[in-house]
Amino acid sequence: MKKIMLTLALLGPAIAQTAQAQTTVEFWHSFGDAKRTGWIQARADEFNKANPGVKVVPTYKGSYNDSLQATILAARQGKPPALVQIFEVGSQLALDSGVFQPVSGIKNVDFSDYIKPVINYYTVNGKVNSLPFNSSSPVLYYNKDLMKKAGLDPSKPPTTFDGLLSACKKIEAAKLGVTCFGMSLNGWFVEQWMAEQGATLLNNDNGRKGRATATNLDSPAAKKIFSFFKTLQDNKYYTYTGKLEDWDGSDAIFTNQKVVFHITSTADIGNNGEAAKKAGFQMGIGVLPIVSGTKRNGVVIGGASVWIPKGIPKPQAEGALDFALYMTNTKNMADWHKLTGYYPVRQSSIDLLRKQGWFTQTPLQLVAFNQLTQTIPSPATAGGLNGAAIQTRKIIEEGVQKVLSGSSVDAALKEAKTRADAALAEYNANFK
Amino acid sequence: MLKPASPPANTEANAVFKGTAMPWLFLLPSLLILAVFIYLPALQTLRLAAYKANLILGTERFVGLQNVTELLLSPAYRQVALQTLIFMVLTVSLGLLFSLGLAWLASRPVRGSKYYRLLLIYPYALSPAIAGTLWLFMFNPEIGVVNQLLGSLFNVKPRWLDDPILAFSLVVVAAIWKGLAYNIVFYLASIQNLPGDVMQAAEIDGATPAQVFWRVAFPLLTPITFFLVFTNIISALFDSFALTDILTRGGPYFHNAGITTFLVYQLYQDGFVNFKSGVAAAQAALMLVLVAFITFMQFKVGEKRVHYGG
Repeated sequence: MKKIMLTLALLGPAIAQTAQAQTTVEFWHSFGDAKRTGWIQARADEFNKANPGVKVVPTYKGSYNDSLQATILAARQGKPPALVQIFEVGSQLALDSGVFQPVSGIKNVDFSDYIKPVINYYTVNGKVNSLPFNSSSPVLYYNKDLMKKAGLDPSKPPTTFDGLLSACKKIEAAKLGVTCFGMSLNGWFVEQWMAEQGATLLNNDNGRKGRATATNLDSPAAKKIFSFFKTLQDNKYYTYTGKLEDWDGSDAIFTNQKVVFHITSTADIGNNGEAAKKAGFQMGIGVLPIVSGTKRNGVVIGGASVWIPKGIPKPQAEGALDFALYMTNTKNMADWHKLTGYYPVRQSSIDLLRKQGWFTQTPLQLVAFNQLTQTIPSPATAGGLNGAAIQTRKIIEEGVQKVLSGSSVDAALKEAKTRADAALAEYNANFK
Repeated sequence: MLKPASPPANTEANAVFKGTAMPWLFLLPSLLILAVFIYLPALQTLRLAAYKANLILGTERFVGLQNVTELLLSPAYRQVALQTLIFMVLTVSLGLLFSLGLAWLASRPVRGSKYYRLLLIYPYALSPAIAGTLWLFMFNPEIGVVNQLLGSLFNVKPRWLDDPILAFSLVVVAAIWKGLAYNIVFYLASIQNLPGDVMQAAEIDGATPAQVFWRVAFPLLTPITFFLVFTNIISALFDSFALTDILTRGGPYFHNAGITTFLVYQLYQDGFVNFKSGVAAAQAALMLVLVAFITFMQFKVGEKRVHYGG
């Protein structure tokens, strides 16, 4: 014991010295699983080896919500981490907190390589606030075997609401003992369907020209989405666990072959594909079905980005940005995509993947990519920004749930709009 | 070792500190800890209740009693309070009746009673989060074990988690099940300590088993029942959180609020999901009043009605 103490005492100053020469970059993220945590740690180790002056320390800080809260409180005490992963709905909140600095202000970064809808989401007032990291969008998942049994062509999955409904009709007629369609009830999808129609969810150009003060839930675009759920419910074409935002529950319903169609994030292509293989059915991926008779405008990016707090020493901020850029470089993003199914956020990564023959090996992914790269840039597809987004998203879900429990579309939309607008007003009152 | 000379019993019983400094000194460590971790945060919460505040933005705007009046007038909050009340009454009354019955049966001299007792007590070892996940799996309407059984036997598939009445009942039953073990442990111990001679005397006098239970055992168990009523009320108010968060996420939405959203879950949602710390603090203050009232009732009822034997 004494010997150990002595060694420690001797080593102490040495450790302290290297620590002084080094800039420590704390990186707080929200990936609790071994696969993703391990990947991040491996990139940090590589980076630390190549940059002896910087020491990146990645830490899992709980859910997105917890880590946002922890960051803000740490920043108030003057000890923020140098790099934090924040989920996309928290973007406006993070921006308003005043705790962060735009990454584009730290040093010159060439953002031209980033996929447009991705970088657009995180650009506000011409400034790139955070560096895109894990990004995804929703796609249609389908059970090819069940489609065949119902007399449908698995090579032509439905691409519109009407297409989905007529497929449902055939599935019902085939009496397979399964429900046509199941996805988790999630406001994220409603946001996507607004964007696909080129419609903004919030006023003031989706809250990007000025603070959003009202939702557009009274618009025809919103009505079309809610009516779709009404039709699904009236015909018993839809099922879910009954719990809001139950991603896992809905994935389980799909992989247990209780539904033919499912919609969820591209980030689950890997996991659901494996589960499908285990369950012994062929899984297909299609574009997100959209409102019939409208032009396909594209999807809004979901996921998270990494933010750098202000008020930290310049070398630390630069170290954080350098690491974030290293972690999201062409090769690493391609690698990350293969591991998790999240989009690589760079055009060059897509080119690299193509060169490696990734898309011929995994044709499922191609659909997801095209959907993203063919997105038409506009305030609608840039995505809605609002500081009460966590709450308004839930209000929208509860609105859809009301439709599913028999309420009329108009009544549900009216109530959802009143509640969501009140939430926006309450949030905006913080700035008076 | 020298045996200390035992002082006369009289002086020991009457031993008092001279002056007031000493007792305060001894109390100081506990008071400090309480002050830092209980009193200061409580005061902070009361202060915050008078502000419109956002945790992330760090904004604070004084509004006086507005938070409280808004809450009391809000149909959503009133519905949540009413739901909490119904939930509390149901879980406490049914939970105690059921656990008393089971404990009574498990304390009968039957073969293997030890194993019955063990099986009755084990759910206590599960964390509420795990219990919630278990129930979520079992009651998944499409692939849950319950609906697969019901589907094959009766060709029905109830929507456990989005039918308001079913979801509410499910949470009540789950909460009762989760609390059962705790209550059974206390009841088992008390039943085993019941005075055997009194019970035997009743039996010899020709009392039926039902009479022995209701006329002799039940009154003798009032002190423990009383204790359990209040611990169960507190746990229904505060510990329902993890179960509802995982099982229903407070839903389904019914009228003005999620039907399984109870006071403490609403507080969590407002304070830590939507970051409205002022409103959440006002809710905490209201809950403080509620708990104060319950504690007051506990002492009041306890003095009058509980039979402590002797």
